[in-house]
Amino acid sequence: MDNNRRERSAGDSGWLLETTGLTKRLGGKTVVADVGLRVGEGDIYGFLGPNGAGKTTTIRMLLGLAKPTRGHIKVFGRSLAKERLEILRQVGSLVEYPSYYGHLTGLENLEIIRRLLDAPKARIYEALATVRLEKDAGRAVRGYSLGMKQRLGIAAALLGHPRLLVLDEPTNGLDPAGIQEIRELIKSLPAQRGVTILLSSHLLSEVELMATRVGIIAAGKLVYQDDIARLKQRTAGRIRLSLSEPELARQRLLSRGYDALPDERGITVPAGDDRMIAAAVADLVRESHQIYRVEEQRSSLESVFLEITGTGGSL
Amino acid sequence: MFARLLSVEFMKLRRKGVFALAVIGPLGVVLLQAVNYGLRYDYLTRLYASDPWGGLLGQVSSLAVSALFIGLALIASMSAGVEHTAGGWKQLLALPLTRVRVFAAKSATTLLLLLGSCTLLLVLTLAMGLLLGFEAGEIPMAKLLATVYLPYIAAMPFVALQIGLSLTFGNQAVPMTVGTLGLVVSMFAVFLPDWVPYGWPGQTLEAAGRWRAVAGGAVGGLLLLAAGCGWFVRRDVS
Repeated sequence: MDNNRRERSAGDSGWLLETTGLTKRLGGKTVVADVGLRVGEGDIYGFLGPNGAGKTTTIRMLLGLAKPTRGHIKVFGRSLAKERLEILRQVGSLVEYPSYYGHLTGLENLEIIRRLLDAPKARIYEALATVRLEKDAGRAVRGYSLGMKQRLGIAAALLGHPRLLVLDEPTNGLDPAGIQEIRELIKSLPAQRGVTILLSSHLLSEVELMATRVGIIAAGKLVYQDDIARLKQRTAGRIRLSLSEPELARQRLLSRGYDALPDERGITVPAGDDRMIAAAVADLVRESHQIYRVEEQRSSLESVFLEITGTGGSL
Repeated sequence: MFARLLSVEFMKLRRKGVFALAVIGPLGVVLLQAVNYGLRYDYLTRLYASDPWGGLLGQVSSLAVSALFIGLALIASMSAGVEHTAGGWKQLLALPLTRVRVFAAKSATTLLLLLGSCTLLLVLTLAMGLLLGFEAGEIPMAKLLATVYLPYIAAMPFVALQIGLSLTFGNQAVPMTVGTLGLVVSMFAVFLPDWVPYGWPGQTLEAAGRWRAVAGGAVGGLLLLAAGCGWFVRRDVS
């Protein structure tokens, strides 16, 4: 997988974005410590971590808004410290909450960015269409809902036809419909625009639905980085069976070699292949157990996240 | 490129009332003088009988310097304020622009708006003199230009100071307090030693020490702008 990625990626090291030993100290406190991000071309990279873990500080450094205390950032195989402007020409960003000039219309806001990027006028309408804001483009942004402001921010980030899109907490503060809308938009972008996306969030469930690769940061340190599929493998998935006479059923399954454990609503068995589960269910039905539910336990990814970040409590 | 950056700065100030402010300042100064001359026409024309234009310029300039002090603080604050309220810094500075250019564009916006106000003051003063029936052939052009533009140059350190403060503090109450205090101090500057910069814009109106005040303002202004730019380039954006 990584070999494949290396072949189709930019730069001599093979990664589209790569940081080495990235460190930031703020007021004597190390906010980001020795972070080595690796983002491949075409990835939707989910940058995860509890609030205050250093996500936004890292992203600020990636955009040249803050200077690293130590470490290097390479984007498109170039050094950010040396070729900031060249790199930023191909990067679109939306940091933390959308930036906008509230007294200006959506169109005027985009026109400001367009002029600064010296992009053709048509890009504005293209970006507005992508985020479906054409109808409201003539209104002052002050009157937009948060979701619309967020979409305008994404439109602004897309104006320069970036190779890399950096989105910091793009769904923060949105209602479920808004979240869904932004999520669908983000998922459609790599195919539509050939863009690589770095996306930060404090919600694993959010990133899980979009990302192809994840990095987890906790207390300033990158504690995990791999494809999302591997993170999912780490979750010891189990199948829960709700059924009549659970204790008896458990004994039966144990005697047939299943690793059945008691559970508050029945019993659980390891999530093996489908045939094995089907066989177990068939066995139990033959023994006249009534099966109410067969369900996969989905909380395990969150618990792996909690285990990795060591937060234990709420994020 | 710089022209584009500047056009964007002016675009951001649309519907913010900055342009109205740039007009209201000089208009207010001249209208107050219109009231002054309207109420005391006979007295003032007799007082300045030998040099009616000079008299008018003297009256106008006394108000204009105060208007300049508060105007530069207001304009600098509004131009920086659009970025602070919108959280616009992170978006603006993550664009492929050098920080020096961004700082230069912000400063140029303030300087150009003030220059526009000064020019408008010149035009309005001329118009008022002609309306008062002063001789068009006797217009003291050199003195008129000096009255309008020299205080502007001498006030440059304060323009630089207000730009620096407005860009640094998200809460615009800080630069506005400093700016208002500056206005108050400048009104009593005649009681201060000549080297105090708050007196410089006023000193450009007197023959003695005029050029020292102008030179001090220009050099001090440039130095402060350079210092502000150096700070702006290095700082982290939150």
